[in-house]
Amino acid sequence: MPAPFQLQPLELIDHTLANGLRVVLNPDPAVPVVSIAVYYNVGSRNEREGRTGFAHLFEHMMFQGSANVPKAGHFQFIMKAGGTMNGTTSSERTNYYETLPADQLPLGLWLESDRMRSLAVTQENLDNQRDAVKEEKRLRYDNQPYGQIFDLINEMIYKNFANSHSTIGSMEHLDAATVEDVQEFFRIYYAPNNAVLVLSGAFEVEQAKQLIETYFGDIASQPLPPELDVTEPPEVASTYREWEDKLAPFPAFLIGWKIPQRRTPEFYALYLAGKILYDGESSRLYQKLVKGEESVIQLFGFTDERRGPSSIFIGAIPKPEKDLSQIREIISEEIRDLAAHGPTSEEMEKLENQLINDAVRMRQSSMSRAQAVAEFTLYDGDPQLVNTELQDLLAVTPEQIRHAVGTFINTDNRALLDVVPAGRG
Amino acid sequence: MDPSTAPKQTPPAPLAPTAFEIPRPFKTQLDNGLEVVLFENSRLPLVSYRLAFYQGDINDPRGKTGLTSAIASMVTEGTENYSSKQLAEKIERLGASLNAHSSDDFTIVAASALSLYRTEVLDLLAEVTLRPTFPENELDLYRRNTVEHLRFQRSQSSFLAGEQAARLVYGEHPYAVASPSPADVEALERDTLRAFHADAYIPNNAILIAVGDISREEFLNEVEDQFGGWQKGNKAVSEFPAPPTRTKRTITIVDRAGSAQSNIVLGNTAIDRTSPDYFPVLVMNQVLGAGASSRVFMNLREEKGYTYGAYTRLNTKRLAGDIEATAEVRNEVTGDSLKEFFYELERIRTEDVREDEIADAKSFLTGVFPIRAETQEGLTNLIVNQHLYGLPADYLETYRDNIDAVTIADVRTAAEKYVRPDEMAIVIVGDENAIIDQVKPFATDIETYDTDGKKKS
Repeated sequence: MPAPFQLQPLELIDHTLANGLRVVLNPDPAVPVVSIAVYYNVGSRNEREGRTGFAHLFEHMMFQGSANVPKAGHFQFIMKAGGTMNGTTSSERTNYYETLPADQLPLGLWLESDRMRSLAVTQENLDNQRDAVKEEKRLRYDNQPYGQIFDLINEMIYKNFANSHSTIGSMEHLDAATVEDVQEFFRIYYAPNNAVLVLSGAFEVEQAKQLIETYFGDIASQPLPPELDVTEPPEVASTYREWEDKLAPFPAFLIGWKIPQRRTPEFYALYLAGKILYDGESSRLYQKLVKGEESVIQLFGFTDERRGPSSIFIGAIPKPEKDLSQIREIISEEIRDLAAHGPTSEEMEKLENQLINDAVRMRQSSMSRAQAVAEFTLYDGDPQLVNTELQDLLAVTPEQIRHAVGTFINTDNRALLDVVPAGRG
Repeated sequence: MDPSTAPKQTPPAPLAPTAFEIPRPFKTQLDNGLEVVLFENSRLPLVSYRLAFYQGDINDPRGKTGLTSAIASMVTEGTENYSSKQLAEKIERLGASLNAHSSDDFTIVAASALSLYRTEVLDLLAEVTLRPTFPENELDLYRRNTVEHLRFQRSQSSFLAGEQAARLVYGEHPYAVASPSPADVEALERDTLRAFHADAYIPNNAILIAVGDISREEFLNEVEDQFGGWQKGNKAVSEFPAPPTRTKRTITIVDRAGSAQSNIVLGNTAIDRTSPDYFPVLVMNQVLGAGASSRVFMNLREEKGYTYGAYTRLNTKRLAGDIEATAEVRNEVTGDSLKEFFYELERIRTEDVREDEIADAKSFLTGVFPIRAETQEGLTNLIVNQHLYGLPADYLETYRDNIDAVTIADVRTAAEKYVRPDEMAIVIVGDENAIIDQVKPFATDIETYDTDGKKKS
């Protein structure tokens, strides 16, 4: 066992501009690069029925130019400065981020502020990005074996529309979107008081503050977005579905459970239970199914952490001719065992070292630091959680894990999706 | 400055630049020939090890395709002192990782851990490298699982496209083999693995690289303890046929009925990793298609909306290399996408790139360099590649100068030499019926394969 491990806390300077933009600075001069993360408090959870896919379409629109940045200029300015960048959309938020050589901090702030202030929402941009999103959907979902199963199972787990519909959304809804719809969405959600800006890396704090005030200080705040209800009853929406997949070469299944929201003791306990069950070659299910029974080609599991009801998944692609129900019975047995006896002391030691290792590795890159700080700031209003979450995780007891597994996973209240290959074999 | 009047119409000038140097690592060699490299860096309490052999999949003995990769996969599945399960438990209980894999040119046993466990992890790295036993039951599981994985990857269009492109570009050279066949894998025997492991895992064909929070004296003592008694062997010498000289464009369709997209790859041979043309080709590829501001991306995605992404890719291996243009496009614009690809592949050869394009490409390549060195894994990869490919000792120091030295004329020459649209192999994985008429105008030579890799016509 390691001696009590002292993780060097990240230095965090937290302030809010007059227009409501929350700014957190994490100076760290080790490598002369700087990462900028802008997190907007809008994700697919904010979409109304008939308007799915908007949050993600918007992520594309944010690269289509603004008052002083030409169409697609964002990519080019960042790349020619020697930077990397991207944007992503989830149920919870839409994020934009770039890593740049340290001397290019003003450029990154200028680009992010220009699109926050004055995005160019035109018919041409909208049409063009609808096409790009359709291609993305074909590439990532429609043309991949098993590509649609995670969207399908969310519809089975969640009853509340805000939680259940996919982030990529409906192409019909996107086709129906007008420029006015998109402008309205921008006004409501892309306001400084609905966003968080985080800098991590090599910069002078006072100079960075001044630059941020210069570029973001005069962006007008907006009335807060409408209140959101993401509450769920405990029951899943549907316990079974069979799905014919044209591209899947083998049958597969995915099981999903509805669990408490992120950062609750129950969520932490289930996150750790998941690691014990499916994470790595020493995990229980890997040793049982891939090694012992030799019955699956691929085993996977993960938690989807949300500010409302969240979920945990276990899935497998069994070998051909294997009995799927028998494999599921073995998964149930391990869950029952964990619910009855809890983790072993060896498993607790493994979790401790893995959690410390993960926390140290997260601190290596300015981008992963900036993203972690931005999430805690946006979701919890408290950037310091980046320095204390490890202790919260390490504090979870075997009994808490046992109890949480018994309550939330060792139950028939779960969604089972069976994937049936429907191709030419 | 007053925020309300600060100029915001034009991009701001950079701040004063900050220097970034990667110091040269410490190097030595054991009496048995093992090269040892240490890069001390105590920024975070982490350590990374790579024990690499200068041979890879292309060094599989004739008729034994897949042997090198099988050995790499199997070294962590049982050793003289530990079973597969014990190894997994020992490593994961430290929160560490340990694995081995082979690529075309190299075999790498990799480990990383909190520096607190640096000794335990180096011990385990030595255990799997020097004392694997290839247990029969584990090998049997490996064979059966690998056969299923081989079957599974045939459902993925990117694998099918890459398989055909490699075959067409590299011909009889072993770089042409994208993966072993199920029959190759089923034929692997324990004695063959043991014998080839003994021949191939020798200290005089290997390099041990350590990066992180570890002191030189302690590290060198441990290396001597763990690897000092490792016996030298005979380095194998391999001769390979040259990749073919292509004389015309061809089209190879992999018919994937019901495919929602066409996965397009256009390729021809280019340069190996140590070519003197490396930097001009790198800059040329950056302008042409390496990223989201390159010509092919701007054309096929941003202007035409044919695809989610279109790129060109430079594959530089130890003995040869290729350049490929790739995109996954919707079925009905397959022909139009080929047209735009060929437009860009011709244009980079026949016109000088603009001053601003080369400047942007160069500043990207020099600027991302420190970003790539930010994590320990990133820094380790830079050092590992420098040593495995035998790049100069000052390679990392002079990298940015070498990029900056590339001229517009160099880019044009590189394109004329290495981008050869009239000789390219065109591979399209997609629904043949939906695309055949669209692609006919681009070559007279058209062949079709099925997704099992068998020729149909």
